[in-house]
Amino acid sequence: MTTRALTISAIKMFVRNRQAMFFTLFMPTIIMGIFGLIGLDKVPKIDVGVVLSNPTAQTQQFVDQMKIIEAFDVKVGAEADERAALQEGDRSIVMLLPDDLIPGGQGVPETKIVTVLKNAGKEQQAQTAISVVTQILDKTTIAVSRAPELFKLNVEDISARNVRYIDFLLPGIVALSIMQMAVFSVSFVFVDYKEKGILKRLLATPMKPYQFVTANVITRLIVAVVQSAILIAIGIIAFHTHVIGSYWLILPVLILGSIMFLGLGFTISGIAKTVEAVPAIANLIVFPMFFLGGTFFPMESMPHWLQSVVQYMPLTHFSNALREVMANGAGWAAITTDIYWMLGWAAVLIVLANFTFGFEEKRV
Amino acid sequence: MENIIEVKDLTKKYGDFTAVDAISFTVQRGETFGILGPNGAGKTTTLEMIEGLKSITSGEVLVDGHDVHKDPRLVKSLIGVQLQSSSFFDGLNLKELVETFGALYSRTVDGMKLLKDVQLDEKWKSQVKELSGGQKQRLSIAVALVNDPKIIFLDEPTTGLDPQARRNLWDLVNAIKLQGKTVVLTTHYMEEAEILCDRIAIMDHAKIITMDSPINLLKQSGVGSQVEFHVDHHVDEDRFKNLPGVQHVVVEDHGVRLTTNDPQRVLTSLFQLEQSAGFKIFDMQLHQATLEDVFLKLTGRTLRE
Repeated sequence: MTTRALTISAIKMFVRNRQAMFFTLFMPTIIMGIFGLIGLDKVPKIDVGVVLSNPTAQTQQFVDQMKIIEAFDVKVGAEADERAALQEGDRSIVMLLPDDLIPGGQGVPETKIVTVLKNAGKEQQAQTAISVVTQILDKTTIAVSRAPELFKLNVEDISARNVRYIDFLLPGIVALSIMQMAVFSVSFVFVDYKEKGILKRLLATPMKPYQFVTANVITRLIVAVVQSAILIAIGIIAFHTHVIGSYWLILPVLILGSIMFLGLGFTISGIAKTVEAVPAIANLIVFPMFFLGGTFFPMESMPHWLQSVVQYMPLTHFSNALREVMANGAGWAAITTDIYWMLGWAAVLIVLANFTFGFEEKRV
Repeated sequence: MENIIEVKDLTKKYGDFTAVDAISFTVQRGETFGILGPNGAGKTTTLEMIEGLKSITSGEVLVDGHDVHKDPRLVKSLIGVQLQSSSFFDGLNLKELVETFGALYSRTVDGMKLLKDVQLDEKWKSQVKELSGGQKQRLSIAVALVNDPKIIFLDEPTTGLDPQARRNLWDLVNAIKLQGKTVVLTTHYMEEAEILCDRIAIMDHAKIITMDSPINLLKQSGVGSQVEFHVDHHVDEDRFKNLPGVQHVVVEDHGVRLTTNDPQRVLTSLFQLEQSAGFKIFDMQLHQATLEDVFLKLTGRTLRE
């Protein structure tokens, strides 16, 4: 009865705490909105400059063909302007086309020189552009020389479910906001209770400390589930995210992740002596995970030395497990490693919390 | 009367520092017992050991026959506690707060009734942070009463309150006394101890210096009341010295100061002397001895220095 009444009170306190509600719901929604709207999955177009000293039907035809290619943003201009644009970094390559690009008449045509000015700083885009241009020129060569085509590429459309950036982002945001909620709502509140003597006042009653802790843990587990449900709903309604995994698998992953970070929250509550110390200590631990824990970009895109650190972070495994289930429809088997990591972290953090956090100020 | 609290050789040490030094006392059922002393005397530490909040270095505490050290949870269920710095949760209104505390004792309580007892029923929708200092103390007494305790402990209940709020709280403590509850309080206000307490233990430097009812403390200490007045012409000092009950006489010009343990008797005989000796008394003042004077006499220091 005591624990149930305490839980009900703790829920009321959480819901009435504007700051907690802001960090629990408002902030993650904003982050999702910003990153969802930026749409990091739209590959930027490759800027190609073309210089024609005297436009002819032939060169114009070539330029039109270039323009059809979706990946290119083709601009035609004078040589001086295009060189300047290249130097400014606004072009990946600039091509100087000779006026008589495709020779008419009979006999063996002479080789024409197409000069390509390459932006050395945009090596990847430049190489892509050059290979496409080479292909067009090769096809032209074949057509002109009337040689038989040896190969023809037969491309079939297969409708595939592509993981868009927002599909990647949503599980990460859910994991991130659970981390924020669990760590900050516990550490701020409990250090405040400790500092104000509220925990001591509770100790003056026959209540057992674990009952109060349990009530607060249950409260935050409920908050974590509701919070995730709201964020997923926003993702589906506003950003048309696909969640293909089983909700019955998402739920235990959410709970495990929450317990893990609640352990961290209580550990910080034990270390911090004053409320002022909480953000300093908590951010020191949480901030690196905020950016690197696989919420915004995949670990695989990071440099190796960084990966070797990031692969141990609790958030990395939490967001990874959630993403595998939500975006890729993975089952237990695919996320076992992440689950083991999370269980390990949960155990370590709970032991640490028991070690550092107590209702009474520990005397050294 | 039966003892509801028995404290025997209670000691608290922090390393080399002795906060409470082998004190013993008993509190009787229904009594209001005060522990009086300056800051740092060990009052709060004593209280918190009895309440089961601080571990006991040595000695024994029995509350209603139960050993606090062996059965702290049982003792906690019998007592109500107001701590020196009482703070409560934000985010709950007063009624919810009081009822939540009831649940800690596995009780369903009527929050409104408890709030009414401390005249906070009209504020039931407020949160703790919106209350004044006096209201906070009253709330903390309401919370201390949720389990209908046999004993209620008040640690400096009126420190930092304005005179009006202090009087208000005294009325509240007296109302609790009338319910037959035992009250144990600490204070460094002498006036408060005199008004509220049946018995007082004066504590200084971790020890109890003396313990008795306020009246006996005043009597036994030998600190007398003083009668001061002016006379219209010089009267011989010996005539005052010979008055019954007078212990000490100072005469300066036309001003006279008499020290006594029995002001009533002195005043009666003084007025008779005025008639017979033919002088006139004016500007008369009576300074009664206070516990403040007792403390000064016992320790050579004032209470708040």
